[in-house]
Amino acid sequence: MNTASALRAVYRPALRQQSPICDFLLPSFSHSQSRKQYASVTTSSASPKTEPAPETLNSQSAAKRRRPLSKEQQQFLDSALRVNQAGELAATLIYTHQTLPITRLHPHLRPLMHHMYSQEAGHFSTFNAMLIRHRVRPTAMYPVWTAAASTLGWVTGLMGREAAMACTEAVETEIGGHYNGQVRVLLSWVKEMEEKGEEVGEEMRELVDTLKRIRDEELEHLDEAVGEGAKEARPYELLNRLIRSGCKGAIWISEKV
Amino acid sequence: MVNSKPCHAALKPSSCVRSKPCRRLYHSYEHERPPPFAPTESRILSAALSHVPTHGFATAALIQGARDAGYLDVSTNLFPTGPFSIVNYHLVTQRLALAKDAPSTNDTANNISENIRTLALRRLHANKPIIHRWQEALALLTTPAHLPTSLRELALLSDEFLFLAGSTDVTSTWYTNRAGLAVIYASAELYMTTDMSKDFVETEEFLTRRLAEGEKVKGLVGGVGAWAGMQAGGLVDGLRSKGIWI
Repeated sequence: MNTASALRAVYRPALRQQSPICDFLLPSFSHSQSRKQYASVTTSSASPKTEPAPETLNSQSAAKRRRPLSKEQQQFLDSALRVNQAGELAATLIYTHQTLPITRLHPHLRPLMHHMYSQEAGHFSTFNAMLIRHRVRPTAMYPVWTAAASTLGWVTGLMGREAAMACTEAVETEIGGHYNGQVRVLLSWVKEMEEKGEEVGEEMRELVDTLKRIRDEELEHLDEAVGEGAKEARPYELLNRLIRSGCKGAIWISEKV
Repeated sequence: MVNSKPCHAALKPSSCVRSKPCRRLYHSYEHERPPPFAPTESRILSAALSHVPTHGFATAALIQGARDAGYLDVSTNLFPTGPFSIVNYHLVTQRLALAKDAPSTNDTANNISENIRTLALRRLHANKPIIHRWQEALALLTTPAHLPTSLRELALLSDEFLFLAGSTDVTSTWYTNRAGLAVIYASAELYMTTDMSKDFVETEEFLTRRLAEGEKVKGLVGGVGAWAGMQAGGLVDGLRSKGIWI
């Protein structure tokens, strides 16, 4: 215990220092010079009902925001949008590859699978458009996530309805929590802007609305998956843990590269 | 001495070139981006740039520029990278100038590859007044100490071309397109330094040829990928039709 804290005490300042070695060896892990940092993986399991609802979100004013967002805020949006696109890419692929094995055995699930897929496809194109518009680069792991998500969807699809639903449940829990965390961060900005008397701007308002809508749809999928027997999957605990930690890892990586 | 103090203050919050290379960030449409150079800095450097045709990319041009802008010779010490700061100023301002007069590229009906060609040509033509000195600049750009900055600037330029041309790729082709375009542009720039033809028509032809080759390679890679995908899908479907449980 003591050794661990002693090591940490040496390691932390070393990271913060701007030495050429750190710059070279730890290119993007050592960006801790900024005053304010947002948690790398922003998740929140708090109920959407308890989130603040700043009044300016509903205002109809078309005034533009004058002050640029801070560097930390821009960085946050940059990685948030990148992660969201990667997440929706994975979701569309998972549903695509699950659909055939599942509907072959359970034709009554066809409308549900189609509904979930088409919503994910809609989210994916929304985030693609945002990436183009805001000049955010897609994740460099794009081919890796494509392969991983296709495999995951296919394997859980072959394992049967319960496993597929358990996969949906695990993925949507992570993604829903992730969106929830993002919405909370954005709402805290809006509140901060309100307190300072700044214009929030159409762009930010739209972004919060979109994220809220998408989060609600993801959580809807979660409920549907649980309703279809996700908890009855055979090694439920194992599947759930495995997929959720995979999602967390993928989110962490996509935020960086 | 009177001038050097405010000059120093104005230079302090300058571009991100000298400190850490700034990362690409979320681009907002609601407000203007802050200018890349502080006013004093940009006054000295733009004046210095006008002396490049006679003095080259050298400290002499920088000193002349500082004099023109009304500062003492010693104020050139505020540019620790010396002549390279003129090169960098030229690259950054010309890259940003592309966005200012890119009206024709905004209509999407226009072909994207045609837009890229137009933009790359416009950028190349911006080198015209100093082309006989550009090899000095290339030497400075490839100095190991400046290489990270120049590569970064090249990447940003390539990104600017594709963004302004209306490119909509957000898959892994985002990376390959940018890398390919950067290589093509850099080679065209090098070609231009030895181009003796009237109005650089040969450079234009060179660029057009390289871009066409790039398109061909892209099409080939895309075609092979699509073919492999079709074969894999067909194999899986064939096995399924035989009753194999996959």
